[in-house]
Order: sequence, then structure tokens, then C-alpha cells
Amino acid sequence: MWLFPFFLLLFTSSLSAHVGSPDVFYEGAAGPYRLMVTIRPPLVIPGVAEIEVVSASSELRELQITPLHLSGPGAQFAPTPDRLQKSSDASASFTGSLWLMEQGAWQVRIQAEGPRGQGELSVPVPAVAQQSLRMQKFLAVGLFILMLFLSVGAVSVVGASLREGQLEPGVAPGTFQIRRARLMMAATAVLLFASLFLARGWWNSIAQNYERRLYKLPQLSATLEPQGRLTLRLPDPGLWKGLQITGNPLIPDHNHLMHLFLVRLPELERFWHLHPEQMESAVFSQDLPAIPAGRYQIFADVVHRSGFPETMVTEIDLPYVPGKPLSGDDSAGVGRPLSQADRTANSSELFCGGRMVWERDSLSLKSRHASWFRFRVEDQAGRPVDDLEPYMGMAGHAVFLKTDRSVFAHVHPSGTPPMAMLALTERGATSQPDPHARHGKGVPAFGTVVSFPYGFPQPGEYRIFVQIKRVGRVQTGVFDVEVGL
Amino acid sequence: MVDTTAVSIDRLLGTKTRPAAEVRVVPWYIWCGVIAVSSSIIGGYWDISWHRSIGRDTFWTPAHVAIYLCGLLAGISSAYLILSVSLGKRHAAKESCVKVWGFHGPLGSFMSAWGGIAMLTSAPFDNWWHSAYGLDVEIVSPPHVLLIGGILAVQLGVLILILGCMNRTEGVSASRLSALFLYVGAMMVLLLQLLIMEYTWRGLLHSARAYRVISLAIPVVLIGVARAAKRRWATTIVTAIYTFFLLGQLWILPLFPAEPKLGPVYQKVTHFIPWDFPLLLLVPAVALDLLAPRVASWAAWTQAILFGSVFLITLVAVEWPVADFMMTPAARNWFFGAHYLEYNFHPSWKPYEFFRIERTPSDFWSGMAVALACAILSTRLGLAWSEWMQRVRR
Repeated sequence: MWLFPFFLLLFTSSLSAHVGSPDVFYEGAAGPYRLMVTIRPPLVIPGVAEIEVVSASSELRELQITPLHLSGPGAQFAPTPDRLQKSSDASASFTGSLWLMEQGAWQVRIQAEGPRGQGELSVPVPAVAQQSLRMQKFLAVGLFILMLFLSVGAVSVVGASLREGQLEPGVAPGTFQIRRARLMMAATAVLLFASLFLARGWWNSIAQNYERRLYKLPQLSATLEPQGRLTLRLPDPGLWKGLQITGNPLIPDHNHLMHLFLVRLPELERFWHLHPEQMESAVFSQDLPAIPAGRYQIFADVVHRSGFPETMVTEIDLPYVPGKPLSGDDSAGVGRPLSQADRTANSSELFCGGRMVWERDSLSLKSRHASWFRFRVEDQAGRPVDDLEPYMGMAGHAVFLKTDRSVFAHVHPSGTPPMAMLALTERGATSQPDPHARHGKGVPAFGTVVSFPYGFPQPGEYRIFVQIKRVGRVQTGVFDVEVGL
Repeated sequence: MVDTTAVSIDRLLGTKTRPAAEVRVVPWYIWCGVIAVSSSIIGGYWDISWHRSIGRDTFWTPAHVAIYLCGLLAGISSAYLILSVSLGKRHAAKESCVKVWGFHGPLGSFMSAWGGIAMLTSAPFDNWWHSAYGLDVEIVSPPHVLLIGGILAVQLGVLILILGCMNRTEGVSASRLSALFLYVGAMMVLLLQLLIMEYTWRGLLHSARAYRVISLAIPVVLIGVARAAKRRWATTIVTAIYTFFLLGQLWILPLFPAEPKLGPVYQKVTHFIPWDFPLLLLVPAVALDLLAPRVASWAAWTQAILFGSVFLITLVAVEWPVADFMMTPAARNWFFGAHYLEYNFHPSWKPYEFFRIERTPSDFWSGMAVALACAILSTRLGLAWSEWMQRVRR
């Protein structure tokens, strides 16, 4: 169909913070009510985000939702809220949808009402257009047929107006009228064809302009300097700076402007969680720890002042780096090579003795299904420990990584949104970012179990790195899982 | 009891099977056409206000329904007219019509039917377009052009139908039909105003581009309709209806509550936000009507040069200082409506400053020269269109 440009899906398997993991999972309190929120942003902006809220109890009467910008002038006024529908089969579950009209950092404000009064919870949602909307085939065919019909119809009406339209009733058209009509019909057909051709070009230019604004995974530039220093250069934000989504100053996310993750390829058996220093606005630098030679995948999490989070990626070949000892919040983890992965194993040995146990109900996990990932830490005697220490203010950090690296998600016990985004929802539009955003918040107590809400976006094989801090050291449990449809 | 339907068709088609009788009714299909075009224009301006005040909740808002009702009504009434002639047994009726694809009917009904189908075709296209590229970011988009083209075709069809009736009617009905003819002409001007409104917002009225666009779009209809109506002060009447309608939407819409349903919301909105104060087309219209009798015998191109120049010069002469006034606090009230800001009007935008499209004086004056050429060309097209309309017999 030449008139209707069919766009290739430009799904880039990326979404701002995290890679290939666009859905937002968050557990928080709306006043006296604890809510588990799942938000599935649209891949086309403007588009409809699907929202599901599960309450810890069935007492909630009503939930209303409103979309606002996370920061800036768009965070000041809220549109009319929409009501979520209570599920008929599960009384504690509510579902609904919201239009997200622009790309950027949004928040969904949830207002809860029940027997214990009212409460409010805001969940940050990054929204970017990742693909163009393809016209459905039946619609394209139908419009094409109608276009032909209208074109032929227009030519015919022009012909009729010149052939008979100016004749008195009862007078038959003569040779002159017929010839003139045919000439004008031909001219009209040419004019119509030219108009449709120009319209196609117009449509294409609009589509190309839209596709230029599609979000693409930002590529870092990484180089190894002498003395084992890794230098990272952030990419030029381009038009995204004009949109005031990225390209503005970064804000700290629990005390660090960047969280850097290194994973050794292809076996994913070595893992580092580092925190580079900012040397210039777009340049970061990290003294590497001891790193064996090999190829490494790099993921770098940042949050912009707008509240928009991003994960930037690159790969690098490194020689053996003697490096410096890990310090501060930097940490490392070791697991089995992927080729020896046991996807039925529920436990992972920890470096200082003891182990981490994944409390899962079933070995069978499905994609796009929100659930809690619970990990119990045990000492060398097999007893659950209760002396977990805060690691950057959290009971733990988890990284969900698909083995082909098309999915990467850095998740906290409260959920997938970075802490800096959550701080913006609490502080309002014009406040300054808090470097200690949500330290210690959202975590009822450091018990024996650390849990993370998440849902795998795609089926496939995943490796999960779970980091906790105990006896003064960050320890990493490594788990493998196969996720079905 | 006079069979008004049969007499109406006879009167429309000029068939002589019945004696001519003065019937004090306007044919039903004319009323259908008038209601259809009114519905589309009311719906169009209401829709603009809806998007500025509420955003979008569903495709089937009342404003959208009003717009597409035009297509439905025009399509059905035209189809009825065509089918009643085509399938009827009166040979004389068929000989008084044009023939398209084996069907007989008045030329105006085929135009209206085409326009109705084009409008209804644009609906799913526009719905998909909003989902793909955004919510009415620009008025001039491919589906909107199809929609506006469809409405224009309906309006043109109704004009032709009215003209056909006028040519065969005397007395009160002729006067009534002439008034309806000018009314539909005014609806056409309002439609074109809607098409160009992004270029004629008050902040752009110190730019040559605004006058270029107005000069291209408006004179063709003003002159064409006024000449075909053969009525004194026709241009003034058309622009008076245009002005009255726009003042009506400016004063009436804000009486009704409305709140944004989409974010981001940058301005607090509690009632419908109307479109701007109307362009002062009334002034050049009066000037044109004063000139028209004096130059009726001039050659067409000479008339076009005169009318086009007078149109542009008088328009700029009044619109320029009024645009200045509209930027002052004195215009920020319910009468002039300069204080209304849509919910997504970003705080960084400047509502009371002119946006300079042309950066240098030479750019401006060359732009105005092009505007003059556009006014002349548009006027000439209007004259030609008027002559064509007056020659239509079927």
C-alpha cells in the first residue's frame, strides 16, 4: 500500500532506567493502606498506561488515579482523577488506565479511600516513546479502498458538473461538453494524484519527525586509562535536552550520581556494583578493583534533575587490572558460569559464609506477572540472620539481568523506581533533590528476609544478583531462573 | 395540501410537470444541508475548546458527534435525493439532473454526498492519528485536511442546491433562500478560519505570515458567495454572521464548567476556553460592498486587483492596532477574552507578546507583498467561482 507508510517496529528494547524493563513495580503506603502498584507504560506516546493496584487488605472502597509531571510546572496542577475499577474476582485488586500525553518523567498519584480514612501515594513513571504505532491492516485496507472511492468519485463529479451541470434540463451534452469534461477529469485525476503524492510525503515527514524523538538506548563511551582508571563519557542528549527530559544536571540517587554495574561476558560469573566520581558534567571516572581480563558489559544508572532515570550501556574489553581494593559502597559478586547454571537451585553461597535462600513458591515463573522475590539470609549454621545492615540505606539491592543482556533492572525493596524519583514525588515540584533520598524509608525493618517487587518483561533465562550487607561487608547472592510466557 | 416534497424536487429540478406555485417553504433537503453545516461548525469550534479545556477522554465527545453528524446528515439526505430521482419513474426529473455512475441527482447532492463520505472516512483515520502522533498537536494534519475537505464539499454542495432553488423561486422563498445561501457562505468562512487559526492567533497578527494566510483563504469565499448571491451588502452579511458566531462562542463557552482530564496541566482551568476574538473581517467587507456596484463592469482581473488590495489594506489597517490592544490588560475580560489560557499553555510561553515570524523589515515587507498577491489571486478565484456557480443549471 504505497499511500500508507507502514513503519517497522522500532522497539529498541530499552526504557530509560533499566533496559528492556519498562513496567513499574512499587510497594508503598497510601496513608494507612499498603498498596502494591504495577504500572505498564505505553510504548507509544501519547498512549495509555495500564495500572493495577493490589491492596494488602480488602477494606479499600475506592482508588482514584491522576497523572502529573514528576517535576516542573506540570507537577503543580492535577487533571481530573480517574477511578480504578475494583476487580470482581479479587476484592483487593483494582485496575484502570491513564493517558500519558508526553515523554518524560511522570508520577501517578493514587488517592485511596476506605474505612480508615484517606491516603495518597505517588508512583513515578518514566514514559518514553519506543516505537511508532503501526496502522492495523484492516484499517489500512479500508482507508485505501475509501481513498480510491473518493478519488474516482471526485473525478466523476467534476466530469458531471462540466458535462451536464451547466446545460438546461432536457438538453443532451454535445461534443464540446463531453470533450471539456474528459479534459477536466484527466486534469483532476492528475491533480488528485499529485495531491496524494504530496500528502504521502507530508505524512512521511511527520512520521520521521516522530521517529527522531523515539527513545534510543544511550551509549556510553568507556576507556581504560593508565593505573586502572575507567573513564566514562555520557552521550550527547541531542534533542532530548531541548525536551528538558535528559541533558540536565544529574541528581544523586542515594548519595551517588551514578551506579555502575560491570558484568563479565559471556558467562556473567563476575559482577561489580561501583560508584564513579563525576569529573565534568558528562565525564565520570572510577578506579577499578582487581578485574580479570575479559569482555565486560557496562550498565550505568543515572537520574536527571527532571526526575527522568536512564540506564546507559556499553561493552569494553579489559586486560587484567590489578586495581585497588573496593571501598565505600562499591561491591562485587561471584557466581557460577552461566554454562553451569542450575535454574532449579534456590540457594546461593555467600562470601563470608552462610547462604542466601530464595523463598519461591514455584520453579515456574511467568513473564509480565508481578510478584515478590523474597530472599532469606542464613548463617553458616543454617539459621536465619537478623543482623542485616543498610546498604546505601536499603535492606538490599537486586539486579535482574536477562542472559542476552536485553533486560537489565536495578530494583530496591520498594520497587523499580530509583530513590531519587521517589523523593521528587514526596517533595513536590520545586524542591531540591535529596542526596539521601529515602534512605531507610520504605523498609519496615531489616528482618531476616529482603524482598523485591518485580515482574519479568519477557520470557527467557535470567540471572538475579541480590546484594545485602552483613558483618560490615556487602555480599552478593546469585540465582538463575527460566521464565516462561 | 401541497405536496411539498414533490414540489420541492420539481422546483429544484425545474421540471415542468406541475405548474409553478409560490410555496412558502424551503425544501427539506436544504434545511438538512443547513443543519448539517451548522452542526459541523458548531462542533468544530466546540472541539477546539474541548481540547483546550478538557483534553481528550474519548473519541466520541459531544463536539466530535456534532462534527460527524454533518457527514451523516449530508450523506443520508443527499443519498435520498439521488436515489429518489434515480429510482423514480419521472424521466423529466432525470433529464434535469447530472449523471454519476449511473445515478441521477442534482449536482449539489453528489457534492454533499462525497463530502459526507470524506468526513466519515476521516473519523477512524483521525482516531488512529491521535494515537500515533499526539492529540491535535496541530490542526493541519492529514486526517484533519480530509475532514475539512469533506465539510467544504458538503458546504459547496449545499450552496449549489440552494442556488438551484433560488434560480427557480420567487418572492419570500427566494429571499429566504438567499439568506440561507449567505449563511452557508458564512459557515464556509468560519471553516476556513478554523483551518488557519494556528496562523492567526493574536500573537501572530504583527507578522506578514498571518496576513498571507488570511489573504489566501478568505477572499475566495467572501467574493464568490457574495457575487453569486446577487444581493446588496452580501459580503457584509457574511462577515457579520462570521463575527456574530465567533463572539457567541467567545461569550457562551466560558459559561460552562470544564476541567482538564489529561496531564500535564500548566494552567488552572475551570470552564471551557473559547477561541480568540474574531478577526475584523467586517471592515474590509463593508469596503468591498461599497465598491462593488461602482466597478461591476470592470474586467475580472482589474476587479480582483482592486478588491484584493482593498481587502488586505483595510484589514491590516484595523487588525494591527486591535492586535496591540488585545495584548493589553484592558482586553483581559469576558468581552475580548484575552485572559483565557488553555490548560496546556506552558508557563514559559508569553501570551501577551507578539511572536515575530519575520526577523527583518525586508522579510516582513516581502511577506506582505506576497500577501497582496495572495489576496488578488484569491479574489480572482472567487470571481471565477461565482461565475461558475451562477452557470450551474442541474
